[in-house]
Amino acid sequence: MSFFSVENLTKKFGGLVANNNISMDVEKGEIRGVIGPNGAGKTTFFNLVSGFYRPTSGKVTFKGQTISGMATNKIARLGAVRTFQRPALFSDFTVLENVSIAQHLNTNASLLNAIIGHDNHREADSLERAIEIVDFLGMAEDRDTMANNLSHGLQRQLGVAMALATEPELLMLDEPVAGMNSGEKAVMVNMIQKIRDKWGVTVLLVEHDMRTVMNLCEKITVLDFGEKLAEGSPDDIRSNRAVIEAYLGADDSVT
Amino acid sequence: MGVDTIIQTIANALVLGSVYAMVAVGLAIAFGVMQMANFSHGELFMAGSYVVFVLYTLLGMPFLLAVILAFPIVAMIGLAFERLIFRPTRGNVLAGFMASAGAGFILQVLVGQQWGVGLMRTIQTPFPGGAEVLGASISYQRLLIFPATVIMVTGLWYFLTRVKAGKALRACAQDPEAAVLQGISLNKMTGLAMLLSGGFAGVGGALMAPIIPVTPYMGHTYAVTAFVIVIVGGMASIEGAVIAAFILGFIHTIVATLYDSVTATMVGVLFMAIVLILKPTGLMGRVKV
Amino acid sequence: MSKSSFSTHLLVSSLVVIAFFVMAPNLVSAYRLELLTIFLINVILAQSYRLMATTGDWTLCHYILMGVGAYATGILAKMAGLPFYLVMPMACVVTMIVSLLFAIPLSRTLGFAFFIASFALGEFVRHVWLKFHYPFGGARGINGIPKLEIGQGGEWYFIDFWDSRNFYYFTLVFTILTLVILFRIDRSRLGDTWKSIYTDRELSESIGIDVTKSRIMVFCVSGFFAGLAGSLLAYQIGSIDPHNFGMVEMVYLIIWCVVGGVKTFWGPLIGVLSMSIIFELTRPLAEWRPALFGLILILFLVLLPGGLETLPARIRELLHRTGTQRGTG
Ligand SMILES: Nc1ncnc2c1ncn2[C@@H]1O[C@H](COP(=O)(O)OP(=O)(O)OP(=O)(O)O)[C@@H](O)[C@H]1O
Ligand SMILES: [Mg+2]
Repeated sequence: MSFFSVENLTKKFGGLVANNNISMDVEKGEIRGVIGPNGAGKTTFFNLVSGFYRPTSGKVTFKGQTISGMATNKIARLGAVRTFQRPALFSDFTVLENVSIAQHLNTNASLLNAIIGHDNHREADSLERAIEIVDFLGMAEDRDTMANNLSHGLQRQLGVAMALATEPELLMLDEPVAGMNSGEKAVMVNMIQKIRDKWGVTVLLVEHDMRTVMNLCEKITVLDFGEKLAEGSPDDIRSNRAVIEAYLGADDSVT
Repeated sequence: MGVDTIIQTIANALVLGSVYAMVAVGLAIAFGVMQMANFSHGELFMAGSYVVFVLYTLLGMPFLLAVILAFPIVAMIGLAFERLIFRPTRGNVLAGFMASAGAGFILQVLVGQQWGVGLMRTIQTPFPGGAEVLGASISYQRLLIFPATVIMVTGLWYFLTRVKAGKALRACAQDPEAAVLQGISLNKMTGLAMLLSGGFAGVGGALMAPIIPVTPYMGHTYAVTAFVIVIVGGMASIEGAVIAAFILGFIHTIVATLYDSVTATMVGVLFMAIVLILKPTGLMGRVKV
Repeated sequence: MSKSSFSTHLLVSSLVVIAFFVMAPNLVSAYRLELLTIFLINVILAQSYRLMATTGDWTLCHYILMGVGAYATGILAKMAGLPFYLVMPMACVVTMIVSLLFAIPLSRTLGFAFFIASFALGEFVRHVWLKFHYPFGGARGINGIPKLEIGQGGEWYFIDFWDSRNFYYFTLVFTILTLVILFRIDRSRLGDTWKSIYTDRELSESIGIDVTKSRIMVFCVSGFFAGLAGSLLAYQIGSIDPHNFGMVEMVYLIIWCVVGGVKTFWGPLIGVLSMSIIFELTRPLAEWRPALFGLILILFLVLLPGGLETLPARIRELLHRTGTQRGTG
């Protein structure tokens, strides 16, 4: 069985079928792209596999365990962690504290430890690790910046840093380069590459930006109107008629 | 239970349901438009009773005129709530709710200082005597409440479905953003909602004034019940509030007849908690809170 | 201000405050001392309420939880005749269990629905007290709760709690203990995960925080301390009834927390302190007082929604703005 596998996943909102019978298999260490025009159902797909929504039917397995229907925090504990399309962060905390909160799974946070003062961000081990993650993502200078004072690009980077701090095996990124300038995009692409190469994390990447996906992914799954339209290597996808039409059609309707 | 007890219970339940409906409909209107949750809805009810006390008992106006005047007078208090409390806290339901609790304190004190705190105001009923139906008796004063409610709720229904301002109010309750795009003024609509909300509470209190003890603190139990009803009925749904009011009226009357009113209140609040927990949108609701 | 000098300031000022409270019985009249005791109990109550608010869950049943602690104390001390060192922990645990029973269903709701549902459950409990004369005493409540006792006359460790000074110190110890524990929690990683739930629930859940479990846990810890406050209150005033734990008291608790703010640990302390002082100073207003407090509540919610704790930042911001305006204009 694959590391991460989706079988016939379907989600309906009343009459609207946001995901229809989607299946895919992702191997450990892969960077998989999931693309599709606006409203294709990509975010819905993430919400399903990360436990935010309960699927109407179908099954998701991760490391051999069925995770569909599980609570989000349980899935995160198993090691499948997602980020959000919107910038999501704890605005009242500094960058380092944000990362530090996200580390809570791997610390001894408990009520008793809190009361006897044995549980805080200044524990040497976890602090070291939090700094490592922040620096790794190129945010060393901003360690003590309040999260809501970061630039848009850095806010998104912080989102990835927090997901990483939970020490995931599968990282699901929802449009990580959305709204970034080309310089920031390049940094993020480089970072995702490193996350896989250095930490061995499997990556599931939802993206609009074709170039980013083509550069990064070994294999791409294309969604359109909630259905799986195509799957294959970047070259396959680039030359796939159905995909080209879907994107052209979408572009027509958008512009 | 004999037939007469059953008839008596039904009659009591209809009257109680009517009062509940009048109070709860006001609460639902306010909540429907921009989620104005008025903690002090009961104090508006109390104000309605005091309008009758002042105009009818003290100044000797005709009772029905006092009841009718209670609508605009208490509606103005509602409008003041909107301007001074709900508009500045718009977007934060809890803040508006808490601030309106403060306004309730103020109303209680003003009324208490003007007309006395401890003393209960007994108001002579203008319609002594009562009707006898199959062995059950019901006073004319109580009997009046049922048709009054029917008239008020029908009037409201007409206003909301046939009159332009009413239709705008409904549009605003359904989708404020779309309503604003259509050129409806949000501020006017929240003001209108609170006018109606206050007016209904005021008339409810005015009609009940000769039946219940009138004190500055009389509103609390009615507010609790109104919240139970509105939540069971689906927060912003006026139909829901009316139906839930009569359901609650029946439950309360039956439990109070079989046991006592404390138990009846317990059943009510427990019912409300269960509905909120199992179906936070209310039994007939569509608005998510 | 650097971090270390800030903590020095903090240490010094807390020492001054503690010194005042230790010296207080020699400084104020017996009547004032009782007020001070109630004040300390209110500090516990407000601080435990703030703990709930850290996850974004404001409740309308905190006074009821305090009542549960008080009733448990009344029943255990008077009817079962148990000594305080058994009564108080049992009262706290009983309150915690009731909190758990509240929290499990309530955790299914959020925001306003949570607030109102907590009110419904609270009213239910208050009506249970009203309805059942045994053991709650109905509307009259429980009278003649025995004074707290340590030892007996003649024994060397005997402390006579008929002397209100001794009960004052007893309360002071528990208040300080509560503050230390809640401060530790506030500064802990666990405390931060709770605050993170308030900031962004979805994000918290996505990084593995069990939001439901956390909210239940906060509710229970908060209830535990509300129970402690109730237990102390029952010993202090000696008789309790359902009116001690009504909506008016609940609104005052909300006023403290709104006036002070709940974001920082100091907010509720500022709130209780300033409002208690104003409460005493406005005693001549008599029956007009609730109107004043209603007005304060409205003014704060409308004009300073973060409470007094955000005032320095507000002023700084204002000064800054006028400063730059002058600069450009
Ligand atoms: N909670 C929901 N309730 C109802 N409909 C929804 C819900 N979430 C998504 N949808 C609908 O499902 C469809 C797919 O939405 P989704 O957000 O998954 O698209 P997407 O591929 O992520 O789009 P984008 O590229 O714009 O982010 C859309 O038509 C959307 O309106
Ligand atoms: Mg999306």
